[in-house]
Amino acid sequence: MTDGRAFGPGAHSYLDGKPSGELSAEERASADRLAALIRAYADGLKPVDPAMDEAVMAAVRRRGAVPAAGDGVWRWLLTSHRVPVRPVWVAALAAAAALVLWLAPRAPAGARSGAVAVAAAAGRDTVFVRFELVAPEARSVAVAGSFTGWRTDALPMVRGAAGVWSVTVALPIGEHRYEFVVDQTRWVPDPTAHAQVDDGFGGRNSVIVVGPKGLVRS
Amino acid sequence: MSGRGVRWLVLAAVLCAPAVLAARQGSVVSRLSARGLPAALAREVQRIAADAAGQGVPPGPLADKAIEGWAKHVPPARIVSAVRLFAGRMAEAGAAVRSAGIQNPSGGVIAAAAEAMGGGLKAEEIRMVVRAAGAAEEASPGLSVAASLAAQGIGSKQAVTIVVDAMEHRRPMSQLLDLPSVARSMHDRGMSPGEIGERLLPHHRDAGGGEHHGDKNDRPPGVPPGPGHPSGPGHP
Amino acid sequence: MEPSDGTIVRRVLDGDVEQYRFLVERYRAQFGRYALAVVGDRDAAQDAMQEAFIRAFDALATCRKPDRFGAWFFRILANQCRNLVARRRDVVDMGTVDPPGDDRADAATDRAELAATLEAALARLTPEQREAFVMKHVDGRSYEEMAELVGVGIDALKMRVYRARDTLRDLLGGMP
Repeated sequence: MTDGRAFGPGAHSYLDGKPSGELSAEERASADRLAALIRAYADGLKPVDPAMDEAVMAAVRRRGAVPAAGDGVWRWLLTSHRVPVRPVWVAALAAAAALVLWLAPRAPAGARSGAVAVAAAAGRDTVFVRFELVAPEARSVAVAGSFTGWRTDALPMVRGAAGVWSVTVALPIGEHRYEFVVDQTRWVPDPTAHAQVDDGFGGRNSVIVVGPKGLVRS
Repeated sequence: MSGRGVRWLVLAAVLCAPAVLAARQGSVVSRLSARGLPAALAREVQRIAADAAGQGVPPGPLADKAIEGWAKHVPPARIVSAVRLFAGRMAEAGAAVRSAGIQNPSGGVIAAAAEAMGGGLKAEEIRMVVRAAGAAEEASPGLSVAASLAAQGIGSKQAVTIVVDAMEHRRPMSQLLDLPSVARSMHDRGMSPGEIGERLLPHHRDAGGGEHHGDKNDRPPGVPPGPGHPSGPGHP
Repeated sequence: MEPSDGTIVRRVLDGDVEQYRFLVERYRAQFGRYALAVVGDRDAAQDAMQEAFIRAFDALATCRKPDRFGAWFFRILANQCRNLVARRRDVVDMGTVDPPGDDRADAATDRAELAATLEAALARLTPEQREAFVMKHVDGRSYEEMAELVGVGIDALKMRVYRARDTLRDLLGGMP
């Protein structure tokens, strides 16, 4: 049953924990009831699992260090995955992204990221490709393939909502072979890739062929 | 020097001297050792590479294969046999590519041809694609696209026909490279590989030579014309 | 005495990434309930928080006031939560909100049902109202604190909280 009336200013002060002057019995009861509901709700909130800290630190450690700021590009990457990129921006953004990839998540000291060598060499003929994997049970997921020199720590993916892991990479046009690496030990194909081929070791590699206009997968 | 400082320096070096990248390949043993392969395994792979060099096989892709196996924790003995097999395939592929007219094929072309053969394309089909390529640098993408289409279920004969026709008609590379994506989106809309092959075959194309492959109708709704992936599982 | 946000941020930027953990602990404690109450689903809230911490790390070099890491991080977290709620809106069935009746035997069940009732009603608020309401009533923040974190004026925040209360009163029934 609703009465359609808003709380008066006195009731709002009361709920703010401030002196409220005279409230009608009805309003006070209504306010108290809401406060009780809030208390019950707040009391029932279980805290966020402290295990989350370790998941964050694992991702942080894989990055090795804070990426250097490249202001405009970082703001773009930080705030949006859905900005539609027009073809005419590709060259400029690809160059910027190649720079970001270099400066961003990198292999441990002493190793050089395969993605870096590829991105720096390819120049303008690179295209953004987004990799995604649904893996809610995983503790870590990375992409490893021909464009990372098969390094498993060059392209860590970030876990999003509903256990969907993702990363966006600037890749040169042409064919690329790769798999996802789950929990650093399990190599898993990409069901959305164009094809799966024999890797020569009894396993499979996922293959995508990237054209200059981008990639279409399911 | 801070990590950041080192990275800037190296970045500058790389941008100024692309040749440095090539030089960095180094010998097979040093590349493999740098990636953590045990010395004995690295030496064995180097031996295979040296033998294969005699047949015109470049060492780079062989080292890559060994590195891939090591990253995947494949036992060394298996890595060795896989590299040996790949070297044999590269020798065959190299021969096919040369006989089709490319005198000094790059490692990339030979590797692309070898992977295509691994995917079921025959030597003659490799030659057909290479011959149809307008320029040597079109051979690799042509081979990759043919191999992908074949792996997507279209069948090597039809795949090669589609690619050869596109190249003979001097279709832009972007159209060629779009074919696997187009085939995939057709597949996702329920077409069988046979139907897809038919749709992509030459006689289905406009006589006016208008853009068909990769045209917007073949993309799933909501895909922007620019680069990038529209959305993945679990995302609206 | 615990190191300040600024101190920790500067150490992390200098290369001691393990220090980031102190920020993660500190702000999980500070903002965890906010994420839970705004998002409504525990797993999803945790995902949002985890993602926010990782993004904050990646962008740490762009944090202009390291001493105010908390407020800067809060914006990132609030964005993550908002995006998540917007996506889940398509999936979650809103249904009708039933005000709780009077005949309950078990106090614990009672509380759980009350909580669920409020949860359902909260889902009906606009994102700004829900966020402000949660900060006021779940976190118990003052309007001044809220203004600092959200970057919006106190009057505007009061408006959001008051409207949220009115909507909730409407949905949940005015009579005891």
